[in-house]
Amino acid sequence: MAPDVFELLWAEKYRPRTLREIVNQEDIVRRLEKFVVERNMPHLLFVGPPGTGKTTAAHAMAHDLYGENYRQYMLELNASDERGIDTIRTKVKEFARSRTPPDVPFKIVLLDEADNMTADAQQALRRLMEMYTVSTRFILIANFPSKIIEPIQSRCALFRFTPLKREDVVSRLKWICEREGCEYTPEGLETIFDVSEGDMRRAINVLQAAAAIGRVTPDTVYKVVGLAHPKEVREVITLALEGNFIKAREKLRNLMIDYGLSGTDVIKQIHREIFSNEIKIPEEARVLIADYAGEIQYRLVEGADDEIQLNAFIAWLSLLGRKLGLSSA
Amino acid sequence: MVDQRNVPWTLKYRPRSVDDVVDQDQAKKMFIPWIRQWISGATPPKKAALLYGPAGVGKTSLVEAVAREYGVELIEMNASDFRRKEDIERVARIAATQSGLFVRKKIILLDEVDGISGTADRGGIEAILELINVAKHPVVMTANDPWAQRLRPLREASLLVPFNRLSERHVVVALKRICDFEKVECEDKALRYIAQRSEGDLRSAINDLQNIAEGYGKVTYDIARSMLVSRDRQYSPWETLRQLFMSKYAWQARRAVTHADMDYDTLLQWINENIPVQYSDREDVWRAYEALSRADLMLGRIKHGASWDLLSYVFDMAGPGVALARRRSKFHWAKYNFPQKIAILAKTKEIREVREAVADAFSKRLLTSKKRFISEFLPFIKIIFTHNPEYAARIAASYNLTENMIRFLAGASHGKVMGYISRLRAGGELVEKGTSRVHRVEKLEERAAEERPVKRRRRSVRRRPGQRTLF
Repeated sequence: MAPDVFELLWAEKYRPRTLREIVNQEDIVRRLEKFVVERNMPHLLFVGPPGTGKTTAAHAMAHDLYGENYRQYMLELNASDERGIDTIRTKVKEFARSRTPPDVPFKIVLLDEADNMTADAQQALRRLMEMYTVSTRFILIANFPSKIIEPIQSRCALFRFTPLKREDVVSRLKWICEREGCEYTPEGLETIFDVSEGDMRRAINVLQAAAAIGRVTPDTVYKVVGLAHPKEVREVITLALEGNFIKAREKLRNLMIDYGLSGTDVIKQIHREIFSNEIKIPEEARVLIADYAGEIQYRLVEGADDEIQLNAFIAWLSLLGRKLGLSSA
Repeated sequence: MVDQRNVPWTLKYRPRSVDDVVDQDQAKKMFIPWIRQWISGATPPKKAALLYGPAGVGKTSLVEAVAREYGVELIEMNASDFRRKEDIERVARIAATQSGLFVRKKIILLDEVDGISGTADRGGIEAILELINVAKHPVVMTANDPWAQRLRPLREASLLVPFNRLSERHVVVALKRICDFEKVECEDKALRYIAQRSEGDLRSAINDLQNIAEGYGKVTYDIARSMLVSRDRQYSPWETLRQLFMSKYAWQARRAVTHADMDYDTLLQWINENIPVQYSDREDVWRAYEALSRADLMLGRIKHGASWDLLSYVFDMAGPGVALARRRSKFHWAKYNFPQKIAILAKTKEIREVREAVADAFSKRLLTSKKRFISEFLPFIKIIFTHNPEYAARIAASYNLTENMIRFLAGASHGKVMGYISRLRAGGELVEKGTSRVHRVEKLEERAAEERPVKRRRRSVRRRPGQRTLF
C-alpha cells in the first residue's frame, strides 16, 4: 500500500465518530444512545480521568443527534482557552440566537475542562444554564467532579468515565496497527498499556511515535516514553537530594522552558520517577516524597505559581536528602 | 578581622564621631548638652529623650556616635522586646544600677518605639515609663512618628529632639566620600540622582549606592536610573529583601513586605529568587520556601475569586514566615538577584509564541485545549519530527505547519523535514501549481471523507504576517 501523502495524528484519525464506534464505557454509551432516540436530554456532566473518552462521547452523541454537520449545532468551548466567563457568556448568547436544528428541540453547548473555572465563574455559568435551558443543553466535562460547584452538579446528569481496561486498549491499538500496516509485537502493545494507565489518548500517541521510530516493541515504547519525559526530571531529583538546591533549581527552570512543561506536568513526572529503580533511596522515603508531591500538586491545582511551588518541593527534597544522609553537607 | 567586602556600607561607614553625623545641627544642639549633663553626673529635668524624624536621617547614628565619643556603654534594645517580661527586667536592672568607680556610664537606647502597636503591646508603653522612672542612666528612644496617641505618655516624659530630612546636597557629599573610600568610579550626576530618589534617607541612598557599585563595578547615571524604581517612600526590591531578611521580629518582616513598591506577584518572585541567596542551611531554605509556598497559595486563591481579605495572610507568610525561617543560617550581606523567572519570560517570548501557534494549528482538530495539547501531544509529535522526517513532512502537510513551526518541532532534523516537503512538492504529489490552499484542504477532506463518511467543517488557519506557509 502506497503511503498517504497526508498523515493525520492518529488521535484525530481514529477517534470514534459515532456512539456505536465507541468500544468501551458501555453503560454510558447505552444511556447516551437513549437520549438520541428520545431526542431529549438533561444537562450532562462528564467526569473522569484524562483519555477515557469524555470529549469523544460528547462529539459522537452530537453527531448521532444532528448528523454529519453536527458542529453547527454545537458550541465548543474550552475553559482553559477562553478568556473568562464574559467571553463565554457572549458566545453562549450569540449561539442561543443561531439557527435551531430541524428535528431536535435543542442545541448543545459543550464546555470542556470546566473544572478549570473558578467558583464565581461557575456561578455565572449556572445562571447561563438556566437562562437558555429551553433551547440549549450543556455538556460539561471535568477531570475532578469535586471542583464543580454543587448547584451545577445538581442540575446535571452525572456520567462517570473510568480508565479503560487493558483488553480494550490493546485490541484498539492492534486494530490501528493493522489499518496502518505497522509492525508490532504483542508485548509492545501490552507495554503501551502499562505506560499509559488506561488513558487511550496517551496510548495512541505513544503508539504513533513508536511506529514512527520503528517496530512497536517494548524497547521502542520505552524509548518513546523516555524521550517524551525528559531525563532531566530525574537529574533535578538527584541534585536536590544531594543538597545542590541552586543547581536543581536552574535545571528545573530550563526544563520547563525547553519543554514548555507546566508545574503540574513536572510534578506528575517527578511522581512517576520516584517509584522507578533509577533513583536510589530507601523505600519509605518514596512514600514521603509522594506525599509531599501530592500536596504540591494540590497547591498548583488551587492556582498557585509553578516555580514557587516546585522550588518549595526541591527545597524539601534537599532537606530530606540530608536526613537520609545522601550527601555530606 | 571581618571580611570588609561583605559588610553593608551603612555599617561600614556609620559615623565614628558626632561631627561625622551628617547635618542635623539643631538636633545636636539639643541632644549633646542634655547627654553631657548626664555624663557630668547630674540628672536633667527630663530623664529620657525622644529622637524623632524620617527613616535614615541619623537618629540612631547620632546616639552611637555620642556613645563612642564620650566612652559611654550603649545598651541597645529594640522596643518590641518590651513584650517580654524578662527582657524588660534585664534592662531595668541595668538601668537602675548606679554608675560608679567600677561601672561604666551607660546610655539605654530603645529603637523604634513607634513600632509598638496600640493594642497588642498595651503593657509596652507602661514598661518603658517604668524603666525611665527607675533609670539612673539616660534613656534615649527613636521614632519615625512620635505623634500617635498611644505615645503621649512617652512624649511627656521626654526631651523631644526633631531630626530633619537631609538635603540632597548633604546626601551627595556623604555618598561621594564613600565612593572615594571604596575607589569606585561614580558620576556626580548619578550620585545626585540617587540622593534625589532617597528623599533625604541617607541609609537607603547608601544601600542603593552599594547595590549599583557591587553589581556593576561603577556608578553611572544610566545604571542608577535603570536600577532604582520610584520609591514613593516605599522600598525598592533590594531594600525590601534586606529589610525582610534582617528582621528579627515578625512586625519588622511584615512591614518590609507591606511597604514593598511592587505588585504581589513580583514581590513573591523576588523572594523566590533570593531565599537560597540569603539562607544556606537546607532546613532554613525549606522552611522559608514552605512559607512562601503558602503565601503563594493564598494569593492564588484570591486570584481565583476568594476574598481580598486573605491578602493579610499572604503578607504574614511572605514576610514573617520567610524571615523567621532562619534558625541555623547566619545573616550575611548578600547581593540579591533580579528574579530569573521574569527575565527568562522576556527572553523566551519568541519560542513561546511558536509553541502557541503550533498548539493553535493542532488543538482544535484534536478537540483539546492548547494547554493540554502542549503537555500531552507535543512531546510525541516532537519525537516523530526528530526521528522520522519523511513521516513528519506528511503530518506537516496535513496541519498546514509553517517553517517556523517545523523548526520548533524538529530541531536539528528540521532541514531533513523541509527536504522531504520540497520533494513531495516537486513530485506534484502535494500541490499542483496554482491551486489555492483552500482547494487543497478540500482535497484533503475528500480523502478523509473516503475513509469515513464524515465531512469536517472547513477550518480557517490563522497566520501571522511574515510567516511563509508551505502548502
